[in-house]
Amino acid sequence: MHHHSVRVISAAAAAAAIVLLASVPLEAQSSKTPWGDPDLQGTWTNQTLTPLERPAEFAGKPELTEEEARAYEARLRQQNNADIRTPGTRRDVTVAYNDVWWDRGERIVADRRTSLIVDPADGKIPPMTPEGQKRAAAARAASAAFGDNPAAPEDLDVYSRCIIRSALPRLSTGYNNNYEIVQTPGYVAILQEQIHDTRIIPVDGRPHLTGAVRQWLGDSRGRWEGDTLVVETTNFTDEARGSTFRDATKNMVLVERFRRVDAETIDYQFTVTDPDTWTRPWTVKMPWNKVDGLMYEYACHEGNYGLANTLRSARAAEKAAQQK
Amino acid sequence: MQMRTAGLSIALSTVVLAIAVGAAAPRAQAPGAASRLQGKPNLSGIWQAITEANWDIRPHQARPGPPQFGALFAEPAGLGVVDGGEVPYQPWAAAKQKENFAKRWELDPEAKCFMPGVPRATYMPFPFQIIQGTNKIVIAYAFASASRLIHMDKVDDSPAENWMGWSRGRWDGDTLVVDVTSLIDQTWFDRAGNFHSEALHVIERYTPAGPNQIQYEATIEDPKVFTRPWKMTMALHRRQERNAQLLEFQCVPFSEEMMYGHLRKRAN
Amino acid sequence: MKRILIAAIAMFALGVTPVPGSAHHSFAGEFDVEKPIKLQGTITRVEWINPHAWIHIDVKRPDGTVESWAIEGGTPNTLYRRGITRESIKAGMVINVDGYLARDGSKKANGRDLTLPDGRKLFLSGAGANEQPGR
Repeated sequence: MHHHSVRVISAAAAAAAIVLLASVPLEAQSSKTPWGDPDLQGTWTNQTLTPLERPAEFAGKPELTEEEARAYEARLRQQNNADIRTPGTRRDVTVAYNDVWWDRGERIVADRRTSLIVDPADGKIPPMTPEGQKRAAAARAASAAFGDNPAAPEDLDVYSRCIIRSALPRLSTGYNNNYEIVQTPGYVAILQEQIHDTRIIPVDGRPHLTGAVRQWLGDSRGRWEGDTLVVETTNFTDEARGSTFRDATKNMVLVERFRRVDAETIDYQFTVTDPDTWTRPWTVKMPWNKVDGLMYEYACHEGNYGLANTLRSARAAEKAAQQK
Repeated sequence: MQMRTAGLSIALSTVVLAIAVGAAAPRAQAPGAASRLQGKPNLSGIWQAITEANWDIRPHQARPGPPQFGALFAEPAGLGVVDGGEVPYQPWAAAKQKENFAKRWELDPEAKCFMPGVPRATYMPFPFQIIQGTNKIVIAYAFASASRLIHMDKVDDSPAENWMGWSRGRWDGDTLVVDVTSLIDQTWFDRAGNFHSEALHVIERYTPAGPNQIQYEATIEDPKVFTRPWKMTMALHRRQERNAQLLEFQCVPFSEEMMYGHLRKRAN
Repeated sequence: MKRILIAAIAMFALGVTPVPGSAHHSFAGEFDVEKPIKLQGTITRVEWINPHAWIHIDVKRPDGTVESWAIEGGTPNTLYRRGITRESIKAGMVINVDGYLARDGSKKANGRDLTLPDGRKLFLSGAGANEQPGR
């Protein structure tokens, strides 16, 4: 009789457990590392055809229909096709080589938004502050001053010098938009293909570095909010051309959010805040999609003949001008 | 009847409590808190070798640096990290190493901030961080922001030679064994001009020796340059300062004057 | 009709804003838009490196002399992801280069358009080439 009671209780308890588990929110059942953190690991790409800002043709239209999306993609792929020549134009030189060397993407974002920017709602970068405008204008003027003839490596931007490609946050570029996320207790690491940098994000609640220490990729601190990795990055540097994101100051604050949606997708968003540059913060949303392939090494400085060639060309052009 | 109801309530409460505790368990763990991961040692952390190997992997006495800097860049003596003390060069290669040594301040790829390759990256006088994931291990080196991805899962061969090679790892008991191939031939083993060819094959062994030390071994095979395989051995020490962090040593800008200074515009 | 279509495509191409990536490294500093050049040469070696691969060719001049030229390409990583390996182009192959001359007068050009003598684009016609980009 006693045993019968215990069996009934156990069965009831088990049934109750099943009912309770079933009512636990979906996020607690998503993929986890062996030590219990949400699992973001894998090889990912943020490549997309969707532009950062909403093009004028889509003003007031935050998303496309399926049909419009496919037509738009076809048009963008055609526009991006580097095999299409415009001989004798500057653009033909800067497009540089055949389409086989490029990988600008095949698709717009899956939710068919017309801009990666989701806030402000018009899909445009907010207006710059007067100081930001002055700074941007000064940067353009400084570049224009030397034009195609830089005096020294430091005239060129961090991209051409193979220091970083690019400042954070990284948008998708013409190729190699690949990331490898590796996690261990206490850290999330993001190995970026360009330029072989590993962003190491502690998730143990430690404070940021002192403001006296600035880094090309800033200083990142992460925390988990439910299934979302929230990363705050500060301590940027403005010591070189292009070392900040779109003419921001070194005091910009970047907040990124990573959430694993399914086996093939990370929902990635970032918000940039810099009251000395933009009149308000702005937010971008773009998926990171699983890559069926591997990370490759992208050594840059080691093979950067182009930098020496550019400087040599500048000196040759000056010499030719003097001899005229 | 009373007892059954009470028992059911207790069982139910236990289940609810168990779920609640599970859901509220802290997600982030302090670094190094997990000394084992998936049944293996957790090698994660910030490590650094304390040796004179980057100046010369062989036993050597103290030497002057470039004279204009006095003692600042002079080189300390070292017991060497090469098992047996000698690097077994083929005769032509021994001569080449001496040529390299004679012009080392000009030729050493470290001066240009080129990625140091394997195993030199391990014993540069800079820290590196191991992040041990579930099927990949990243090693991020402060020097030149060099990085390596060690594939613990099966992957194809590398399509090219790489400055930091192509690394495949596996466990041999508590030792992480990393097989490194596809290494570019332009790195040196040290500042003394010890070198290799594109046939270089390195087998690393990382064995924990206590919570804050790893015993590191690198076996070097290169039939184009050496008469036989040989080995380097050293200890790696955990960086233990509070909130230890790998800071950038982005030396590309530091190398530009040396590399491109002759192409700088001169004032007329 | 075809001419109109081609013109329309060209207009699109001209009208589009600078594509991401190309705005950063200015090839216009390295190569001269005023000096287009067409070469045919035999590959002697290929540097499969980043940020740009370099294809070295021997070009036979009308007077019989042979000149060594270096042709700049893109990142080989994209090629690898398309299934293209180093076996795809090798020493001894003849290629046509349609590009722009280096501004410093050296024997360098960017490989704006690389083709085989029969007109097929380089790489996309090679053995083992996979014309679908990996994704």
